Amino acid sequence: MTWWDALVRAGAVPAAFVPPASMGRPDADDGAVPGADLIEGDALHVHPVAPAASPPASFLDGIEQWKVVGYDGVLPVVRAYVAGAVRRRGPDRRLRTAFEAARDFAVAPLAAMAPERRRALVEHCPDVVEIELGEGGEGAQPGRVLELARRAVDSARGALERELAERCLAGMGEHEWLVVDGLLSVSGKLAGHPRALGVIKSHGAQFFTGADLERALTVPAAHRTSVFRARGGHARNAVYSWYLRLWPWEGNDLLYGLVRIEARADAATVAAATVTSGWLLAERAPLSTPDARWDRLLYPMHDVETYLRSRAPRDLLAHSASRLPRTGT
Amino acid sequence: MIARPDPPLPIVPIGRVVATELKPATPHQFHFWTANETSIGIGAIVRVGEGGRVVYGVVTDGFAYSDLATPLHDVIGAQGDPARAAASPTVRQEIRYWTAAVLRQIPEEPLQPVPLGQVFVANDLDVAQALRMDAYLHSATPTAIPIGLYSSGGLEAPVYLDADFLLGPEAAHLNISGVSGLATKTSAVEFLLAAIFRHFPPHRGKVAAVCFNVKGPDLCFLDQPGELSDEDRRRYELLDVPAAPFERVRYFAPLKADGVNLNTLRTHPDLVEAVAPLTWGLQEVVDFAEVLLNRDDIDAKADAFIDFLRDRVLGRSFDDGFGNEHRVQTFADLDRLFRSIFDGLELSGRGDMWRTHHIATMRKVRNRLSNISTRCKGLVTDDGPASDLPWGTFEDRAVYVIDVANVDPLGQDLVFARSVSKLREHLERRDLGVDAVVVFVDELNKYAPGDGPETYVKKMLLDISERGRYLGLVLFGAEQFRSQVHRRVVGNAGTQVFGRMDMDELATPGYQVLSPATKIKLATLPVGELMVRHPHFTQPIFVRFPKPPVLRGRDGMERFPAAVDLAFDDAVARQLVQLDRGIRPNQVKDLIADRTEEDVRRALAAVRQKRPEDVLAYFRKALGGRVAPDAPRERRAVPPLNPISDEPY
Repeated sequence: MTWWDALVRAGAVPAAFVPPASMGRPDADDGAVPGADLIEGDALHVHPVAPAASPPASFLDGIEQWKVVGYDGVLPVVRAYVAGAVRRRGPDRRLRTAFEAARDFAVAPLAAMAPERRRALVEHCPDVVEIELGEGGEGAQPGRVLELARRAVDSARGALERELAERCLAGMGEHEWLVVDGLLSVSGKLAGHPRALGVIKSHGAQFFTGADLERALTVPAAHRTSVFRARGGHARNAVYSWYLRLWPWEGNDLLYGLVRIEARADAATVAAATVTSGWLLAERAPLSTPDARWDRLLYPMHDVETYLRSRAPRDLLAHSASRLPRTGT
Repeated sequence: MIARPDPPLPIVPIGRVVATELKPATPHQFHFWTANETSIGIGAIVRVGEGGRVVYGVVTDGFAYSDLATPLHDVIGAQGDPARAAASPTVRQEIRYWTAAVLRQIPEEPLQPVPLGQVFVANDLDVAQALRMDAYLHSATPTAIPIGLYSSGGLEAPVYLDADFLLGPEAAHLNISGVSGLATKTSAVEFLLAAIFRHFPPHRGKVAAVCFNVKGPDLCFLDQPGELSDEDRRRYELLDVPAAPFERVRYFAPLKADGVNLNTLRTHPDLVEAVAPLTWGLQEVVDFAEVLLNRDDIDAKADAFIDFLRDRVLGRSFDDGFGNEHRVQTFADLDRLFRSIFDGLELSGRGDMWRTHHIATMRKVRNRLSNISTRCKGLVTDDGPASDLPWGTFEDRAVYVIDVANVDPLGQDLVFARSVSKLREHLERRDLGVDAVVVFVDELNKYAPGDGPETYVKKMLLDISERGRYLGLVLFGAEQFRSQVHRRVVGNAGTQVFGRMDMDELATPGYQVLSPATKIKLATLPVGELMVRHPHFTQPIFVRFPKPPVLRGRDGMERFPAAVDLAFDDAVARQLVQLDRGIRPNQVKDLIADRTEEDVRRALAAVRQKRPEDVLAYFRKALGGRVAPDAPRERRAVPPLNPISDEPY
């Protein structure tokens, strides 16, 4: 018997709701007021980049999936699954899994739940993440609980990725790089490693204003911006950063093919920014289609995601069609 | 009993069955994926094991694809430069995806879709199970006959046919198709005959083979060893078939028009001894007159007259009604009878009818029959006894090769028809000397075409195909285009074998059951590899057979080139010397120095048939006394009687 079956037996109402925000992983920045200190040169410039041969590299990415499996009154109880993997590229240019981890757990506002449902959940589910509703938790809104659940899942996924990254760094070869999908600054060990890179595909926060912003967001294909230090919420651990355009944006969108790179805050990073950008540019091929984010999603990351999704529980996926019974025809 | 192989060692899975709504697993087909680097290919046998159910399948198709959504994305990724595409830092995810047809499920009931389990490469034991060979391979009275080695991924497992389904009585006959010039068809049959001779179950009695050599020197050197590689010898060892030429081979070939030289390519002095002449006289031919005469000739009246000759005249003392006694045993005797009748009718003025037969009908029959001995000269003799196959004394595990490669098509028809008829007669009476006979006929496109006129040979081949298995008369037929052979001939063949096939042939409806990949494999099969269909196998299986241990025709011609035709007296002398090594050729030459060739041929035929202890004496006797041409003696006039008187009274 699964823990959600036990929960339903204890009086919860069964549910099968997959919130739209539950699939994949958010790349959004954390919303802090951003800013930038220019590191390379005295003004934000655009530098041409030529594709270069890739060094030995591993790629880290993670996924998260969750859905509401029951309601205690109006309080949703969530089943979540997070997973991450490091896939190492071998001399044959094929990716193979080096490290992976997954976690299947429940997310629930335990304190606000009825005692019998809470007891059933705790007794049958070995891994429960409690959501703190804070003051007035008795009257919590289901929508707010869902948002808190999302954050809890996102946090679990981030922790899993950090753990994997640090395991990978510990055993990495002398010339091997680790490319992380997302922020590098979330981990001190990652942020301080000379051969770790973060590739950020979403640009919810902008670090420049005025002419610099225009220069940064209109950087031509196969060009990068000057290196800068990102300030604000991103700077939990100090990293250097720059923008790199993988594909021409003209005719598409301002952010089309635009990624932001994070690397160790070190003079060597500045010196190697063009070369590093060169081999990242070469990672444009093969295209990571049919993923809609193929213009910014490096194929190895796409590969890691595909690998993780193929191993994820199928019952957490939203039904692709109506759950009504089919007719005889 | 054939030894059971050792139990298999544990093996690691090479793939996993996958099924989607669009491509589900069914009771007859399943799909699985493997690593990109895999040893299996089209024709490989695999085993699926899951939950107590074991499914064996043979790979019929293979697919490889990547996660590329559209080819255009590859172009974009490489920016239109193919060189860049190859240089991308990461290789796309690829899949090796295979389709397999189910060979067998254990348990067989209830028949269910193939479980989504692990896939293993089949081992020896699996191959035997998959092909249902276990029933006849490991029984108390095994009937397994090896046809080749199944090989895949370094594994080699013998594949066996069931003698009950190859040589009867359950099913019978074998048909082999393949393009010409690769020596696959003939080689396969030669190997299979060797395998039959080695493995034909003792409880099924004796077996022999009659092979018609219809082109070149194909089957002329079955008793001579050919060159074998170590690899071939190893295969022979695995299949438990001796890597040696056939021990008992007898050759039969008609004579050439000169009546003394053999009409075959096996005339090298070292080998010609094993060749016996094949000559037939009137008695042997007349029963097959309809083979030699076309339907326009054989109207009801002519047919009735031939019946009359057969029933009332041949081999009997017969009065022609004009005071002449005849004993018709040869074409020459028959011609004398006809002349006597025609002369008699003409002189007696009794009109145009003789014993209810019109003179025109008789003339036509005479004309056609005498034409036979002209067209088939060397095979059909005007006079003299016949030299024939050893009906009634066929030897176990012997091959009888009838070389008709250089014979007129009419003569070939006659040889086929009569030989097969005699085989059938003797097998029906169980007095052939063996219990089963394999008849090998190549070029079925010529002898049993799907369209064209109804020939006697085609009728004979149909007859063997449809009724032969009850008698132990088994047809091994070969052709280039199976689609153009009579449907009942190929349809009745329980075992079908395919060598390399022509793509045009594979496009015909008969091959629609094969997957495109199997067709491609068939079109590119290397020499020595075959696809086999057998009643026990639910799917075609690819096997590899060793090169036959006999000298190939072409090689044989290089090593044993045909001898130049001998002069008449030399040829006669050689034939007699073959029968008795003590005879000196000059003795023979002196004996026949001034005898007519007809007399010599007749005497020689008599010796061949009789095979006496004292060959030369018998030959001399058969030749008859020499009638010396005496000088004409002066005839003295007989003086008139003295008149008693002048008186007339």
